[in-house]
Amino acid sequence: MNAYRWPELHVGLAHSFSVQLTQEMMQEFLHLSGDTNPLHLDSAFARESGFPDAVAYGMLTSSLYSRMVGVYLPGRFCLLHGIQVEFSNPAYVGDWLTVKAEIAHLNDAYRRIEIKASIENGEKVISKAKIRVGLNER
Amino acid sequence: MSDILAELQPIFRDVLDDPALQITRQSSAATVANWDSLAHINLVSAIEQEFRIRFSLSELAGLKNVGDMIDLMEQKLAIK
Repeated sequence: MNAYRWPELHVGLAHSFSVQLTQEMMQEFLHLSGDTNPLHLDSAFARESGFPDAVAYGMLTSSLYSRMVGVYLPGRFCLLHGIQVEFSNPAYVGDWLTVKAEIAHLNDAYRRIEIKASIENGEKVISKAKIRVGLNER
Repeated sequence: MSDILAELQPIFRDVLDDPALQITRQSSAATVANWDSLAHINLVSAIEQEFRIRFSLSELAGLKNVGDMIDLMEQKLAIK
């Protein structure tokens, strides 16, 4: 786990990691969220809806933004203030997702970090996010 | 209405999520709905990015309303 402190941060500082989306993750998110919508559970229903297979939960893939800020950028002293996510394309079980994040702005007065982030599956952008985090270093 | 006040309107409306909001020089956290501490940080950060200026904590601590913010911004923009 990274543990950036304020003087070590700068605009343009970036991190990325990759993870494969699994059926087990889908099951765990189903139990966690209680979202039983068939678009995420029923391949036949998904195909009838125009998708090639069951669509991964958007909030499941977006949970990787939590890992990004909590573990990588800024890591240990992160305090999540807010996040805006826009979904661009669906993700599916088996996809290798790459999460990228880069510091876009630093507010010195309140030690607020503004991060631009994205999740891609190697071919398409799954989502983009603007993430606001504080640095809770004491 | 000063140019800066006009330019601040969409920022306040966006951050405070109120499309009908009309701020004046007298507007403050005490008079504007949803202007809480987290919204204040969001406002300051959005203003810094939009106008490409930076505020220090001591400068921000002295501000009582939007008019004070505009005066401070005019000082900073004049010396850019």
